[in-house]
Amino acid sequence: MNEQLPLALQLRASARFSSYVPGPNAELLQQLQDIAAGGGEAFLLCWGASGCGKTHLLQACCHASTEHGRSVSYISFADNEHLPPALLEGWEQFDLVCLDDIDRIAGRRDWEEAVFHLYNRVRDRGGRLVLSASCAPAQMDLALPDLASRLGWGVVYPIHLLDDDDRHRAMQLRARLMGCDLPDDTTRYLLRRLPRDLPALFDTLDRLDEASLAARRKLTVPFVKSVLEDETRSA
Amino acid sequence: MQGSLWQQCLSQLETELSEQQFNTWIRPLHAVEKDDSLTLLAPNRFVLDWVNEHFMKNIRDAVGARAASEPIEVQLEVGSVKPVTSKPKPSKPGRQDRRRDKRGLPGNNLDSAFNFDTFVEGKSNQLARAASIQVAENPGSAYNPLFIYGGVGLGKTHLMQAVGNMIVQRRPGAQVVYLHSERFVADMVKALQHNAINEFKRYYRSVDALLIDDIQFFAGKERSQEEFFHTFNALLEGRSQIIMTCDRYPKEIKGLEERLKSRFGWGLTVAIEPPELETRVAILVNKAAQENIELPSEVAFFVAKRIHSNVRELEGALKRIIASHRFSGRSIDLKSTKEALRDLLALQDKLVSIENIQKTVAEYYKIRVADLLSARRTRSITRPRQIAMALAKELTSHSLPEIGEAFGGRDHTTVLHACRKVVELKEADMRISEDYNNLWRILTT
Repeated sequence: MNEQLPLALQLRASARFSSYVPGPNAELLQQLQDIAAGGGEAFLLCWGASGCGKTHLLQACCHASTEHGRSVSYISFADNEHLPPALLEGWEQFDLVCLDDIDRIAGRRDWEEAVFHLYNRVRDRGGRLVLSASCAPAQMDLALPDLASRLGWGVVYPIHLLDDDDRHRAMQLRARLMGCDLPDDTTRYLLRRLPRDLPALFDTLDRLDEASLAARRKLTVPFVKSVLEDETRSA
Repeated sequence: MQGSLWQQCLSQLETELSEQQFNTWIRPLHAVEKDDSLTLLAPNRFVLDWVNEHFMKNIRDAVGARAASEPIEVQLEVGSVKPVTSKPKPSKPGRQDRRRDKRGLPGNNLDSAFNFDTFVEGKSNQLARAASIQVAENPGSAYNPLFIYGGVGLGKTHLMQAVGNMIVQRRPGAQVVYLHSERFVADMVKALQHNAINEFKRYYRSVDALLIDDIQFFAGKERSQEEFFHTFNALLEGRSQIIMTCDRYPKEIKGLEERLKSRFGWGLTVAIEPPELETRVAILVNKAAQENIELPSEVAFFVAKRIHSNVRELEGALKRIIASHRFSGRSIDLKSTKEALRDLLALQDKLVSIENIQKTVAEYYKIRVADLLSARRTRSITRPRQIAMALAKELTSHSLPEIGEAFGGRDHTTVLHACRKVVELKEADMRISEDYNNLWRILTT
């Protein structure tokens, strides 16, 4: 088979509100959209297990906020635990501050104090703060009760997992944003056979898209099946 | 800004970098564009250094590719963007004066929403409230300093600012400054860096009332304590009012100089305790009314019974109920409330179990859980057992027979007796009352 170099043709499915299928999280999505536009609540914390879409939502919030002409700053603590708390100095100047994976700094007194003080400064300045965590505030094992009580002061939303119908929609939406067509039967085929957490499904979709571009084939069930079997064989 | 040079660069950088990198390091930079230069403002030194080290090449390349004929110089500086554009709830009263003094020192910073009218009085806070009103009526002479202490989210800041607001109301023009202790430290550090410490001293020593929140954050900061000590003395000498809040009694603050601890106790020290059920209900109803929502009393009781740790958590739950109501358009009733708070309440149930209470009480009194469940009737065991039973009744939704069963198969009348006994003992014995409150705090925060 004559393979093309697919990379230049692949579109990136960026984290936007429009690329998020809310399913049972419609109220949360609305809240975040309001916040990004400068309305809504001053403080919001959303939490859920890994892969539930926390980072997607926060990054979409950053993007939408910029689109509304509002300044924004973002940090994920998942990969940045080694950075010093001085990182947060002066962040109250932003209209919106997004802190992703806040539970990763639980128990680290210096970071907890920095976030606590930032919270107070954002409140003083009338800004907005959106946080995410992998668990509810009460389960975070925070060392600083002052921070714990503030995390529960705003609105707190769990992020519910999508059911299979919504996963189906999410897969097809992502495919569409990447510029490819994912037929219903192929989507059902994937959902029946693969681990059903969205990051894993999206990851597979990215690989299938690449393979379909390279082979100039549509994402039919036989094609997808053959790609997945090839992957299993070479693994 | 649409189509500006930096906007175009952003579009390119967004495709080159991961979304994490872009959102963390590039998006927050604020661009100031001139004909031959582009200045990017970073919020602090750390971000500036990081961008310099990791992304400057990408930035210069992006700018270079778009510059017309003359090369454009790219500079990175620490600086701030425009101020925050809107307050969280513009329709509601807010800070009276968010502006900073022209020397960079804070204005009064009082939030007018924190006043005595909006403060819900209950048994848990009536002493602190009464003292605060006296101070507001006679600043500098009634109780000076006024030291308010208690757990997080119980209304210390509210009371303190209510005093400040009332002082200003009674004497317009009075210079009342409210700030968090961290801010005092930060301002002092800045003053030292900019050789302006004398101005800093003059400013803080000249106010009519100084309200410092969360004084425990002075712990371990010796230079700040030294400065605060002198400010404190000067203000007291000039009969200016000082109000402080703290999460604990002055003597218990670790890392604070003895001379400060003793001075903090010169005026009046008052505690705020966690609000009891009726107060929690009143707080919910009041807060809802401020949002023009009439909260059905069964809903208020339901929430107040389930959430007991602090007022912030109560407010958080109420915000969630109101948000769901506004989103769905459904009226607020018990069913919709249970639905909106489903996850929050499920967590509470998980956290405060009878086993957890038994474990916590046993640890607190340094006895074994087995003792609590045993038939032993010595006082060193029966008191903790009674307290644990009373806590189980208060903090879980188990029936009395279930609680009795969990305490070594006792009858439900024993549980009832224990609960009544604990109410009596709390009234009669300060130590028991304190133990009970401490255990409550440990279990619910």
